[in-house]
Amino acid sequence: MSKLEIQWPDEAAERVRAAQGRLERAGVALRARSLANRIGAVARVLEDWTRADSPWRRELVESFSATSPFSRGTVAEGLESALRAWDPAQLVAAAERELACGLPGPDGGLPARMLAPFSYTAVLAGGTIPMPTLLTSLLPLVLGSPVLLRESSKDPVTGRLLARSLAARDTDFARAFEPIELPTEDGDALASLLSAPCVVATGGDETMRAIAARLRADQRFVAYGHRVSIAIVGPQATGELERIAGAIALDVARWDQTGCLSPIAVLLVGLGAEARRDVASAIARALDALATTMPRGELPVATRALHAAERAEARMRAASGRAQLFEGRDSLVVLEDDAELRPAPLHRFLRLLPVASAEALRVALDALGAPLSNVALAGFPPEKRREIAAELARHGASRITSPGRLQTPPVDWPRDGLPLFTPLARFASQDD
Amino acid sequence: MNPLQRDQPMQPLPPSSTAGREAIESALLAWMAEPDWRRDEARFEAAALALFRFQYGACEPYRRYCDVLDRTPEKVQRANAIPPVPTGAFKEFDLRCFPAERTVQSFRTSGTSTERRGVLHLDTLALYEASLLASLRRCFLTDLAGRRPTMRFLALSPQDAPDSSLTHMFATLAAAEGSERSGYDLGPEGLALGSLALAIDAARREARPIVLAGTSFAFVHFLDATDDAPAAGASPAHTGGWRLPAGSRVLETGGFKGRSREVPREVLRASLAARFGIPEHAVLNQYGMTELGSQFYDSTLVDPTGPRRKLVPPWTRVRCVDPDSGDDVPIGEVGVVVIHDLANTGSVAAIQTADLGRLLPAASGSGEASGFDVLGRAEGAEQRGCSIAIDAMLDPSDRTGRRSVHTRSGREPAS
Repeated sequence: MSKLEIQWPDEAAERVRAAQGRLERAGVALRARSLANRIGAVARVLEDWTRADSPWRRELVESFSATSPFSRGTVAEGLESALRAWDPAQLVAAAERELACGLPGPDGGLPARMLAPFSYTAVLAGGTIPMPTLLTSLLPLVLGSPVLLRESSKDPVTGRLLARSLAARDTDFARAFEPIELPTEDGDALASLLSAPCVVATGGDETMRAIAARLRADQRFVAYGHRVSIAIVGPQATGELERIAGAIALDVARWDQTGCLSPIAVLLVGLGAEARRDVASAIARALDALATTMPRGELPVATRALHAAERAEARMRAASGRAQLFEGRDSLVVLEDDAELRPAPLHRFLRLLPVASAEALRVALDALGAPLSNVALAGFPPEKRREIAAELARHGASRITSPGRLQTPPVDWPRDGLPLFTPLARFASQDD
Repeated sequence: MNPLQRDQPMQPLPPSSTAGREAIESALLAWMAEPDWRRDEARFEAAALALFRFQYGACEPYRRYCDVLDRTPEKVQRANAIPPVPTGAFKEFDLRCFPAERTVQSFRTSGTSTERRGVLHLDTLALYEASLLASLRRCFLTDLAGRRPTMRFLALSPQDAPDSSLTHMFATLAAAEGSERSGYDLGPEGLALGSLALAIDAARREARPIVLAGTSFAFVHFLDATDDAPAAGASPAHTGGWRLPAGSRVLETGGFKGRSREVPREVLRASLAARFGIPEHAVLNQYGMTELGSQFYDSTLVDPTGPRRKLVPPWTRVRCVDPDSGDDVPIGEVGVVVIHDLANTGSVAAIQTADLGRLLPAASGSGEASGFDVLGRAEGAEQRGCSIAIDAMLDPSDRTGRRSVHTRSGREPAS
């Protein structure tokens, strides 16, 4: 007799509701523990992921390599570099800094503010890169808010592995975290998910607006929008060309340039034609060298189509002396002859744009058309670097760093300019 | 003897001169006037190679590109080897084969005032209009051709959008085939539902088919702004909701992005059919782009029982190629859409889009294609690895990996 399987039409929504019930119950035990205790517990889990011999990271490398579009070399290097950059002590410090008002005073006195955690938080994982999933899943737990993680269809492994790592450390925390896989087209399940008192999501502006439109006024929505990252190289870079070019190439190759922290372009400020060509050539060489250890993942046909169109267009400009192409085995560097922003097909397709001066840099930043995320700066004297950094901050950049470190922010980096914890928390004061 | 005429043996190519172009255009105009759409590959090859020789000589950026690729007229022996230019090149170069002062019309792709927009320059509209009318009559008007139905356009008028190829197309269609009651129901202020309702009322009273055509996003706004009840401001006689008389038809084209909510093409078609009370096969999509002189229409009025596909005018050739090698992929497999449009005599005839598509096999089993299907295109930096999945979750058009947008050069319509 064949096995008869019946799937109710609202099966996914029912799974969401059941998980919500479990999480709300788990939240009672979680909140029974002190804030300091929860901070310490989450820091220990983070330590399990970030230490040199982390079995979780090792397992994630293997399982994520098997399911993701990236090559194993890219996954291994990306996870190793990013997770090793996360210092649990920085997470603890950030929590104590941001949530100090909710902690007892030095003399053991009552906190200045009452922390009022949400009964649970829905995290909508959005992508193909594990780090945002890990961090956005852990932060609400610190606050005492269990997490219902809607897994990304592109990453069915990170959430489940995090659940196991929590279980290995702490039963209360394990019960307070549930990854859930939902069919993309299930509107009922999505509606249930979006009924959470706190919703965290990453996506394009339209998507964020669509989510916001579905939420009630009393729900908290923490939205991380689309951002772009860039590198800016100044005239002093020629003195250490190979190092800087290698570092930029690494930023591009990591996650095949598809992360919000991947540079979509390099602005060459104040470099002459020969220096620009040298930089482009060096980056292209470095990218080509990475093709051996971190080969680009296989591209879907739609991406190959976009690459083909942009490559052909760049070749045509090159034929008329308006661009130079440096083609590697799985990468393309286009040295433009103007600072106009052109489409960024990503996947190791890098444009280098000449910018004549700091004033022209302001114009180029204005023309980016998308909010800045991280910016790698190199080749400027300290005073100029500070001046440019201030300009970048005015343009919304939330982190200024050096080439080679774009994809490895510290754990307490203010993503989208937001603090780590307070957007996810509610506070209450109590008058005397 | 003209080498481009049907059933004639191949002749030496015309010289790369204006006179050569005129000979090509004359032959093409005759081709477009022929009533049937039988493919004639030898004729196409001859015309394409002749046109390539002319365009190579007359368009400097194109010539340089061909030189770099080492594909010059001396070396190219067949049309498929003629280098296609990417649509993006129309943003970067003045791709014209005539002196700038002879320009009579420039159509621009849509975009913001600060964006660089693609431009198709024309020194004559004769071929452009002959091509669009031939396709519209054959694929969209069919039995209404010559009967001057009322045509209402959910698109900006020529006064409001003088550089829109779509608006020009509608204006040309209305002048050639529409009744005196034809006009525009979209302005800078938005939809003009009252005038549309009056036109539909009149058509219904007279029991005459009406033609509605417009941008996809305008039709989405129409669906959002209306229901089956009479429109506010409509005439008292407007009691039949938005139902159209028998034989009416709807043409939608272009994308949605940033102009309205995005709607899967199939859903839009079904919604329009339901709202207007017409069969789905009377709702057609047009695939076109500012950079092209010809357009491609759904097959459903010509072949109501066959699979919905885009029909290919015989003076055009549509290929689906591997993005990396440029080689044709087998019929039925997905590739990049490359269009060779002989109506583009004054610019470049071979265009490489960033759209994905597939050729559909002919029912006869001849191994030839009967048309093609456009599947969408990849996004660029706006689709990042950290958010692509959630965007897909909330964008039902992406459920099957197909995107519903971008059927007009991958950008918003030029209206």
